[in-house]
Amino acid sequence: MTTTLEHTPTKGAARGGGIMRRLNFLTGIIGGVLVAALFYVIARETLDQGSRTFVDTLTTLTGVGWVIGFWLGIGAFTGVGRWFIGKDQNHDDEMYLAGKDLGRARYWKYTTDHKVVGVQYVIVTMVLLAAGGILAMALRTELITPGAHFVNPQIYNAFISVHGMVMIVALIVAVAGPWANFVVPIMVGARDMAFPRLNALSLWTLVAAIPLLLGSLCIGGLSMGWVTQAPISEQAGPGMDLFALAIITFAVSTTVAGVNTICTVLTMRTKGMTLERLPIFVWSSIIAAGLGLYAFPFFLVVMALNIVDRTTGTSFFIASGGGTGWLQENLFWLMGHPEVYVILLPAVGALLEITTVFSRKPLFSYRTAVGGMAALAGLSVLVWAHHMFQTGWAPTLGGPFMLTTELISIPTGIVFLVILGTLWRGNIWMKLPMYWVFGFVFDFLIGGVTGIYLSDIPVDNQMHGTMFVVAHFHYVFVGSVLFGAIAALCFWFPKMTGRFLDEKLGKISFWLTFVGVQVTFLSMFVSGLRGMPRRYASYAIIFEHTNFISTIGAYIIMAGMLVLLAAIIQSWRSGEPSGPNPWSSKTLEWLVPTPVPLENFEVLPVITSDPYTYGEELVNS
Amino acid sequence: MATNNDNKKAIYSIFWIWLVITIVGVLISIKAPAWLMPTSASSTMHLVIETIVVFSVAAAPVAALVYAVALYALVKWRWRGEGVPPDGPNLRNNSTLTAVWIVSSTMLTIFLLIWGLAALAVDEGGGNGKNPMTVDVTGQQWAWSFTYPGTHVASNELYLPVNDKITFNVTSKDVVHGFWIVQMGVKVNANPGVSTSVSVTPDKIGTYDIRCTEICGLYHAYMVTRVHVLSDAAFSKWLSSQPSRA
Amino acid sequence: MSRVRAMVIALVSIVSGGIVMALMGFGLASAAPHQTPQYAKDLGMTTVTVGGKSVSMKHVALTIGTYPDSMFGVHGAGGGPHPDWVSYSSSNLVVPAHSLVTMTINQYDSGGPLNNPFFANVFGTVGGTATIDGKVVTKVDPSAVGHTFTLRGIPQNTTPLFVSVPLPENFATDTPLTIGEGQYSKPVVVTFSFMTGSKGVYNWNCEFPCGGSRIGQFGEAMSTYGYMSGTLTVK
Repeated sequence: MTTTLEHTPTKGAARGGGIMRRLNFLTGIIGGVLVAALFYVIARETLDQGSRTFVDTLTTLTGVGWVIGFWLGIGAFTGVGRWFIGKDQNHDDEMYLAGKDLGRARYWKYTTDHKVVGVQYVIVTMVLLAAGGILAMALRTELITPGAHFVNPQIYNAFISVHGMVMIVALIVAVAGPWANFVVPIMVGARDMAFPRLNALSLWTLVAAIPLLLGSLCIGGLSMGWVTQAPISEQAGPGMDLFALAIITFAVSTTVAGVNTICTVLTMRTKGMTLERLPIFVWSSIIAAGLGLYAFPFFLVVMALNIVDRTTGTSFFIASGGGTGWLQENLFWLMGHPEVYVILLPAVGALLEITTVFSRKPLFSYRTAVGGMAALAGLSVLVWAHHMFQTGWAPTLGGPFMLTTELISIPTGIVFLVILGTLWRGNIWMKLPMYWVFGFVFDFLIGGVTGIYLSDIPVDNQMHGTMFVVAHFHYVFVGSVLFGAIAALCFWFPKMTGRFLDEKLGKISFWLTFVGVQVTFLSMFVSGLRGMPRRYASYAIIFEHTNFISTIGAYIIMAGMLVLLAAIIQSWRSGEPSGPNPWSSKTLEWLVPTPVPLENFEVLPVITSDPYTYGEELVNS
Repeated sequence: MATNNDNKKAIYSIFWIWLVITIVGVLISIKAPAWLMPTSASSTMHLVIETIVVFSVAAAPVAALVYAVALYALVKWRWRGEGVPPDGPNLRNNSTLTAVWIVSSTMLTIFLLIWGLAALAVDEGGGNGKNPMTVDVTGQQWAWSFTYPGTHVASNELYLPVNDKITFNVTSKDVVHGFWIVQMGVKVNANPGVSTSVSVTPDKIGTYDIRCTEICGLYHAYMVTRVHVLSDAAFSKWLSSQPSRA
Repeated sequence: MSRVRAMVIALVSIVSGGIVMALMGFGLASAAPHQTPQYAKDLGMTTVTVGGKSVSMKHVALTIGTYPDSMFGVHGAGGGPHPDWVSYSSSNLVVPAHSLVTMTINQYDSGGPLNNPFFANVFGTVGGTATIDGKVVTKVDPSAVGHTFTLRGIPQNTTPLFVSVPLPENFATDTPLTIGEGQYSKPVVVTFSFMTGSKGVYNWNCEFPCGGSRIGQFGEAMSTYGYMSGTLTVK
């Protein structure tokens, strides 16, 4: 049984490619290191070594060198370059870039085939989740009892900041990266994305950002949380410069990917695929992508202003120089709130898709589902200052922001309506993906309701900055989004690899993770209610029991994730073969063979209905 | 039609599950907040706990509905056969249900909003304290210091007279800190270069906690001090016994 | 796959993952900067008046210094990674519980104005005073401070202690003393005493802006463990 990874090895038969034949991940790293070193040396010789901003400017320029060198080394702009000099890529070159006849090597190169990019995103997501997870284990172990244990507060603060950022990046790409790439083009009946080279660019730019993000830990870290509030962000060591650069790089990656997704869905649908016949996952992907296009430029700007303040002496965020920290907070949260819906919507879309297949029922109220998601995205741009109720920035705007934030609960409720309506009187097929769906329903309700508490200003005056907030967003991020990402993996694993993700190991992982989430974060709600602030390296004795329980819960989650990793590795190599459509789903990606051919369809299909025609024979009979 | 009977049967069973979960939820909502949260030392904090109770009671039936349907689906509609299950009924939408759902969630939201706005208006008044008093709060890495305008008293622990309306003018010397009196439910950030303010009336004598809630660097977790609420007489005595420090 | 096989794989993955992470944790803990603890010197017993009554208490002494750079030896050869950062002589102090601690701080560094005159006062010492070069004071000139020694803990975990003593600016210009690899002037000597309560860990740091960065100079040395801050363990 062949999987998508085991193409017939005819490496010698691949034609075309030019210089791309020699470029891959390794040359990318070499290029990155070389150009970084070059920039480092030039900066060190030309900058004033005595000035206060010397180290920051040096670090920033080195980081920029790494990204440029990585891009050059992996051949990211070869296509553009060749067009520029008049030697545009021919068909053989483009087929080479798409990975034709390359075998396993194509996963290590700048490959444009959206299915390859999807698999690469799965690996990158796993790496990010592993890094963030290890940091989380360090944090929870440190907090097991009051007092300092194996890290001092400086290291602890650096860990929480990087844990937060790494996990946020991981979740932004967790569903959108692998599945908007692998599945969406096939779902709309296209042969590839609208901009295949940009697709590879978005992945490899993300890869380039990861060493910058993790590297910030190695050069002194940062002590201000992932929110990097000014002015303390200006006080941090050079770790902050790498961190900011990592975000700027990541914003480029995500913008490119968002544009690609939207253009693909709007322009490359096959004949008969009207917008009303799109699977709900496609809708959630483009709504999330559009929201991301609005939000991430704010992130890029706020980090750029941070770097400029630190390296050139401007005072955007420094009160004594005429600026204000409130500017940073506003810019940040203008991104920060829509961003959580960019994270949530693809996961919700995947979960809805799974619910229809495993209830054998059409999506309940398709138009309301799409409208609800669009309303969620639209409203989310109006609520950002609910993160700033206590900053003293604009006390008179408290009421209006409370209004918009409470209104968001209405479209969120629509998500529940659609899921429950789809489950209603279905034939619920409890295979692995469905476990995660029910886990999502349980967790997202708790996460959503606790969010409503926080939207109320008097309650937020008590709860802001406490572990209550941390528990709230972990219920949404871990209990809802991560569950959605894992459900999507279990669901589309057979399409990606031709094998089932092992049911038994998956169920063990589910129960460990689900129970672990409840133990960790319910106890964390209590910590917060009793008055424990967040980002505390040590805490008062009254919080010791709830923290101990949270740490035990964290270990249970870790166990669950390790079992999931074992399941993925074992199933990818020797799992039970699945066939092309093991779930009898009706969306287009299941109607193509496994492994999916290079150009997806022999003949582009003509669509006559949406993919939710379950039970229609019963109606018509 | 068979489908209507199926719906009715399901609704009937789900109603009972919903009722049980709602009752349990409401009981927990009424008891748990006051039990879990710190003692209340101001009218503001009373309002906070009351709001949490109201929001929880309002959320209980909603949560119960979602959990009841999901539970029923998991138990009653689970396919226990081999292989791919047959298709379910082609129920694409139910306009009445959708409309009722959206309208009732909107009404619930508006109720919560009105409650919240009313509570906010009360909070911003700062309580019904008698003699208004001002305290200047300065946060810096990593200690709080309090000065009493009009006197030369400066202290690292806050002393307040009970039942007076206290207005805090909060600022910072370096980075943003969060000034939070845990048992009084007031929190405002200390920003460098500007002064923010918040008012509260302490209504219970005792010793409470002040904690920093915006990460401010190395010893953020140790930027913790105490507030002592004293009777008027005890407070005057403390004030006059302090050396001149400011 | 059989249920037994699944359980075995699950167990093996959990255990091996746990071992890998534990190793990482130990590696991290040992790589973190540790300074050897400085124990207070025992001076025998003494009588102290507490709340009007005479109490017999253990008396210990602790001597530390504040230096204008990191060349005095504790940070390693060549002053360690940041030879030009100001530094306390030790970040890891240990004193016994329920005792009278007499601290002597040798202040070698220059200074300037405090950003918060609050810290020019003496807090929490016996008698509310400190002795600076022989003179007994309750506060110093806020425009000529070198560093401060500000001690606090988490009140609910320990006997609440807040001790803050300003260390005045050292105006001497010649540097006749050699300590480690550095040259220093004759120090300003500050002495004060405070009483410890029950066991616990307290943190202390300097509240004079003597670090780096544009914001209140609380970056660099002030924000890095082991320079201008440390722990006081009451055992």
